[in-house]
Amino acid sequence: MNYGRMRFVTGFLAIPVALYVIYVIAPYAQAFYIAFTDWRGVNANPRLVGLENFQRLFDDNVFWKAVGHNLILLILMPLLTIGIALFFAFLLNAGGRGGTGGVWGSKFYRVVFFFPQVLAVAVVAVLFQQVFRPDRSGMLNAPLIALGFEPVGFLSDTDIALWAILGVLVWQAVGFYVVLFSAGISSIPRDMFEAAAIDGAGGVQLFLRVTLPLLWDTIQVGWVYLGIAALDVFAIVWVMTAEHGGPDHSTTVMAAEIYRNAFQYFKFGYASAMGVVLFFFTIGFAALALRLSRRERIEF
Amino acid sequence: MADAVIPRSRAYARAERRRRLGPLSVLTHVTLVVWTILVAVPIVWTFLASVKSEDEIFGDAWSLPASLRFDNWARAWEQAHVGQYMINSIVVVAGGTFGTMLFGSMAAYVLARYRFRGNRAVYLLFVSGLAFPVYLALTPLFFVVQNMGAIPVIGPFIGLNTHGGLILVYIAYSLPFTVFFLAAFFRTLPGAVAEAAFVDGASHTRVFFRIMLPMAKPGIISVTIFNVLGQWNQYQLPLVLLTSDKEKWVLTQGIADISTAAGYDADWSALFAALSMAILPMLIVYTLFQSQIQKGLTAGALK
Amino acid sequence: MTHLSRRELLRSAALAGLALPVLSACASPAGGGGASPAAPAAGATSAANPLGLAESKPLEVWIFDGGFGDSYATGIHEPLVKAKFPKLEIKHNATKEIAKTLQPRFAGGNPPEFVNNSGANAMDFGALVQDGQLADLTPLYDAPSWDDPGVKVRDTIDPTAIELGSYDGKPYVLNYANTVWGVWYSQKLFEAEGWQPPKTWAEFLQLCETIKKSGKTAPFTYAGKHPFYIYEAILTLAAKIGGKDVLKNIDNLEDGAWQAEPVKQAATAFAELGAKYLLQGTAGLDHVQTQTAHNKGQVAMLPCGSWLENEQKDSTPADFGYAMFALPDFGSSDALPYGTLHVQPGEEYIVPARSANPQAGLEYMRAMLSKEGAGKFMELVSTLTVVKGAGEGRTLKPGLQSASTALDAAGDNAVWFLFRKWYAEMHDEVAAASGQLMNGKLTVDQWIERAQKKAGSIKSDSSVKKFKR
Repeated sequence: MNYGRMRFVTGFLAIPVALYVIYVIAPYAQAFYIAFTDWRGVNANPRLVGLENFQRLFDDNVFWKAVGHNLILLILMPLLTIGIALFFAFLLNAGGRGGTGGVWGSKFYRVVFFFPQVLAVAVVAVLFQQVFRPDRSGMLNAPLIALGFEPVGFLSDTDIALWAILGVLVWQAVGFYVVLFSAGISSIPRDMFEAAAIDGAGGVQLFLRVTLPLLWDTIQVGWVYLGIAALDVFAIVWVMTAEHGGPDHSTTVMAAEIYRNAFQYFKFGYASAMGVVLFFFTIGFAALALRLSRRERIEF
Repeated sequence: MADAVIPRSRAYARAERRRRLGPLSVLTHVTLVVWTILVAVPIVWTFLASVKSEDEIFGDAWSLPASLRFDNWARAWEQAHVGQYMINSIVVVAGGTFGTMLFGSMAAYVLARYRFRGNRAVYLLFVSGLAFPVYLALTPLFFVVQNMGAIPVIGPFIGLNTHGGLILVYIAYSLPFTVFFLAAFFRTLPGAVAEAAFVDGASHTRVFFRIMLPMAKPGIISVTIFNVLGQWNQYQLPLVLLTSDKEKWVLTQGIADISTAAGYDADWSALFAALSMAILPMLIVYTLFQSQIQKGLTAGALK
Repeated sequence: MTHLSRRELLRSAALAGLALPVLSACASPAGGGGASPAAPAAGATSAANPLGLAESKPLEVWIFDGGFGDSYATGIHEPLVKAKFPKLEIKHNATKEIAKTLQPRFAGGNPPEFVNNSGANAMDFGALVQDGQLADLTPLYDAPSWDDPGVKVRDTIDPTAIELGSYDGKPYVLNYANTVWGVWYSQKLFEAEGWQPPKTWAEFLQLCETIKKSGKTAPFTYAGKHPFYIYEAILTLAAKIGGKDVLKNIDNLEDGAWQAEPVKQAATAFAELGAKYLLQGTAGLDHVQTQTAHNKGQVAMLPCGSWLENEQKDSTPADFGYAMFALPDFGSSDALPYGTLHVQPGEEYIVPARSANPQAGLEYMRAMLSKEGAGKFMELVSTLTVVKGAGEGRTLKPGLQSASTALDAAGDNAVWFLFRKWYAEMHDEVAAASGQLMNGKLTVDQWIERAQKKAGSIKSDSSVKKFKR
């Protein structure tokens, strides 16, 4: 039995671990090594430079700006997305007649809200360039200009651009979490709502006293997904903004700085050093995620 | 007697609640409609722009096209090969997701429910992958895939510029997420059925495929959805690994290429036609399968 | 030594069974790293084959599929080479993503024979030169020219092109197209409104004021999403005020180069232009959008290079009448006279030293530099070339004619800067700051401070190779 068990464990792990080690671990191991070199990408023999790349990183304002933007996104994107999604999920499921039934057309809304999620990020980025255009060809600015207002430089004003990015990220994410939370709410026994309603709870109280506490686990899962997504932001920023993270670095994120230094400046050593910092930065979040999802271990 | 009382009180409570929710209900619909507009308008606008002329696109954003120029679509289809890219994307994502789910669930299951030396280490190895910024690995990864192409016999199928190679990379890079969530899921499954099967003499493999995997179906479905979306959206990896052979490109590469091209050739109407072509099938597929997807998410979310 | 440790890393990581092919192939990128065996091993040379290319090995051509497209290669240059060497196999490729496509092949030691390393996604020339990836073009320039065996290739082209393609005195890059920068306008519009191209900065501002008051169109714009288009003009004006050394010092990362008075004056002048006369929304528009606005008469003037007319050929009204003028005199004490132009041979072509058949790449360049190759190119893509007299007897469009005239008038008063190619990050920083200068979010002093700081940090970065001119 024990022998067969070991063989089974080995057999099941062999292929996934092999794939993972070859395609993920090995390249990253090399990347960590590259962080200590001045490799510029095209030569085969990088020179070891010790901690020089990391020292330079300390004085790199742009990189720290990117870190700051990632932090803003890490906090606000999950907060806004979950807030809006919870609100809609509650309306769709508990806001209508009968309390648990959801409003008229809730199925339709659930389908439509999910649409942005199925669009490729590259597509969304190109799409929103048109939404945000600063002249009368822009979807948002056309009515503003028609009404005689100054057009808003959604992507060209350094004070606004990051919020525009955040808006797009939330726009794309909300639908998914509406569905996720709807699922959670619909599994809450009707009786709970009815009982609370008979006790005289209004809509807001129903939400606070029943929905929110019973959905807490699902919300935590959503937080983990969104946190990872916020740290991974790249394509939206890269494709949508001027100067790839601009204007004037006002929307840049860590992934964009790594990509820029590696594939535009060919400072692979320096870019790898950034990646290493990002690694330790995100490992903290991953540890948090692990803690949140830790479950009882069941053994055979 | 008593039977009649309860429904009446329920109906009363319901009516009472409806009264209280009344004004909220109007507001509810307003907010829902507003968000629907926010979601739908950019997409509808893209479809409109895809039949506009160049001049109209650069004119007022809300003007309607004077005539429906479907030649934009023809141009995008022929010159931009959107159809070919879409088929490539489907092939790669289908292969990638299947492999991810098979190997991911195998690894997650073993790590979740078997105690052995190194379990924690292997689990952490996988999960730490969640924190790796993929951009860091791109160049070394290029060489790994290039070198795989040099393996005798199977090399030509898994090297650079092959869908096989890209599929393997997709699988590897989807494993951290998949193992992380499926392991959590497997841990919550009850062990009684499996133990009964062991008593009946079933092998570990059989128990996994015949009992545990079906029991985990809800979780499997929701993680599958994540992987399909993630791999469908993937842009960086194909950009590096499928460079030279344009016929093998996936859809995101195609869209970005047309978008870049618009910077040089100014064929914006074709860009929007291509965008529409990329959007439409996803919307149709999603609408057709939305109930399954939502059910899968429902089950996944609650575990 | 180093690739050994990379190998060990892989060994520790890879599984035993699969490790072997990974390792053996891993050695290959390093294999090409030491000597470049192919480069000097030229075949027998002859009058018909002065560079000694081997017809048995293919010639792989990569063209940047940008504003010029790639039909000039398939339609003009490749047939020229093919006619002379019928047995030579030419593998044609085109891409918009030069760096992402080819950079790994350079690192892998198997680059193609000929690369048009241009566009926003080109490979960093500094890094390529630093690693000895580029073939020395001296044999090409010393070879007899395509049209006349009695004349060397060197003597048939603009010497600036060779100078600009040189790194530490050695020519590595062929700059083929010649580009001049100026302020572009529609002759039709200017004639209809009675507006004159300005000769002095005061006239220029006066013209902007007149246009603004006319209410028919905005005076000025630039590709706000790509502020290079405006810092190009700022630096050209700075050179006109202070002389060629202004830009030379900037290129050489000299301390205080950006703090020089002419730079400050030029930046101040353009900041004023930005504050008063820009097309609404300029900061958020890219080159296509501003140029389209220009074609539609929404704005009167924009700074651009001489590729503009060709780039816009599909959206320009037939009677638009593109024309350009050089930046006007700033003051009476300008170091350089009226008509001084930013002239820069561009559209870079390279022959990778570690390709299998570099002589074929050089021969391809020799064909490009022929009268026929350059002349037809000029007609097809509507741009100037570095080949002397290539445009003779060919009909040019109005914008190209205007640029050509301005180039002749400028003579020796041509200025240029190279840091954009040498230090991509310097370019990015100046561009980012210049966009904000034009928006009024940076003062001139802050703009100067940022540029100078970046120059200093590049200067102290040991991993970046420095160049001098």
